[in-house]
Amino acid sequence: MRIGVTIRAAAFVAASASLSSAAHAGEPLFGYIYTTDTLPKGKVEVEQWVTLRNEKVAGSFNQIDERTEVEYGLTDNLQVALYADATWVKAYHNGPFGQTTPPERLVYDTPGPDDHYENSRFTDVAAEAIWRVRSPLLHKDGIGVALYVEPSWGARFREVETKLILQKNFLDDRLVIAANVTYAPEYRLVPDDNNPGHNGWQEETDTNIGIGASYRFAPKWSAAVELNNEREFNSLNFTHESNSAYFFGPSIHFGGRKFFATLSYLEQLPWATTHSDSVDGAIVGCHTYDNDFEQRRFRLKVGYLF
Amino acid sequence: MKRYTLLFSALAAPSAVHATVFMSPEQAQAVMFPGEVLRPDPRQLSDDQVSAIRKASGESPLHRDLKVWRASSGGWFIVDEVVGKHEFITLALALDATGAVKSVEILDYREAYGSQVRDPRWRAQFAGKRAGQSLQLGHEVKNISGATLSSKHVTDGVRRLLATYAIVLAHNS
Repeated sequence: MRIGVTIRAAAFVAASASLSSAAHAGEPLFGYIYTTDTLPKGKVEVEQWVTLRNEKVAGSFNQIDERTEVEYGLTDNLQVALYADATWVKAYHNGPFGQTTPPERLVYDTPGPDDHYENSRFTDVAAEAIWRVRSPLLHKDGIGVALYVEPSWGARFREVETKLILQKNFLDDRLVIAANVTYAPEYRLVPDDNNPGHNGWQEETDTNIGIGASYRFAPKWSAAVELNNEREFNSLNFTHESNSAYFFGPSIHFGGRKFFATLSYLEQLPWATTHSDSVDGAIVGCHTYDNDFEQRRFRLKVGYLF
Repeated sequence: MKRYTLLFSALAAPSAVHATVFMSPEQAQAVMFPGEVLRPDPRQLSDDQVSAIRKASGESPLHRDLKVWRASSGGWFIVDEVVGKHEFITLALALDATGAVKSVEILDYREAYGSQVRDPRWRAQFAGKRAGQSLQLGHEVKNISGATLSSKHVTDGVRRLLATYAIVLAHNS
């Protein structure tokens, strides 16, 4: 059953990617980690992302996140973007103690513990700006720095995601080491436990630290690995930590003259630990399967430069 | 196996379609050494020469085979590649009989942007440069905003070829 669903979900990913092949983006070498590259002034890229996230505590779980993005080089060192996000999910007995639970993006849904849950929804629109403060190409030490800000706005979701992006190049700029530090305070409208039948805004802070290495092993082709630590706090002041998970995996990137594609795969490592606000039953075998965490993620990004 | 070959060919096809060859080596020779006769003088770099070039220029040769021609005036014509954003950029370097840069030509460029390195005014900055002189992007050579990677690698490539001339060609002609 699970294999069947996974295959159908993978087919959906492939179909989505195929349908969106007329689109493209800012040439990502990694699935999750950003580099300091920005579009030259006046250039436009369109990107399509599709992310498949699957396997939770038990039962079956498949989630597909879709993002469509348009990027523009405002100057050679300042890139701006607009995008829209949507989510599809199918879950059954996937959560703590085998109860059916929705993913974080649809956390306001309240399926019954034994329901076969399936839903798809447009979730938010967002803007993004990346300011390259220091180009790794213009300094002998090969170190680049960029700042990233992304406010997102949805009917039930508000977030400001910020990143510090660091990069160092080696070997004629064919080997790129990049690190990101992310701070993202957010609000989600969720059912209010203290006031049944009503919703309330829940505060949360996501902090991520990631590092990756990409090597261009042949013209147009790069291979990469990345390691990401994702942490969540049920507050805006770093108290009430709920989750800390580590994801690791490879990426392959093809960069043509106008078109690029990046395919990445991340697996959650058994390094999760229990924290003060961890959800009972969400951490199994040193993996956390709370509503924004799963065992593995496949991400495909395709883009086209106009 | 055939299926994989077809897939790889399909992925590689866009570059063949978009490859932009501006000049052949023969055409570049005619432009850079007008009226002169050039004879091929290919060289094979030894391990010691590669190490010496790397030490002198800070750049490693991409290939052991050195495509060199000698002009009837005593000048040198070298065709080589540097790393571009996605593919190699092929350039030609003309040196006079004393080893000073006469000119630089970009023979092919396959990237979507950054082709400003073909601008004659930008390439003219290399004229007169010699091995041993400082040659850095942002210092002796102006950066092209929006084409930083290409302008950096062309600059690094010229500095490497000047070192190659000094180590391999100048005393072994």
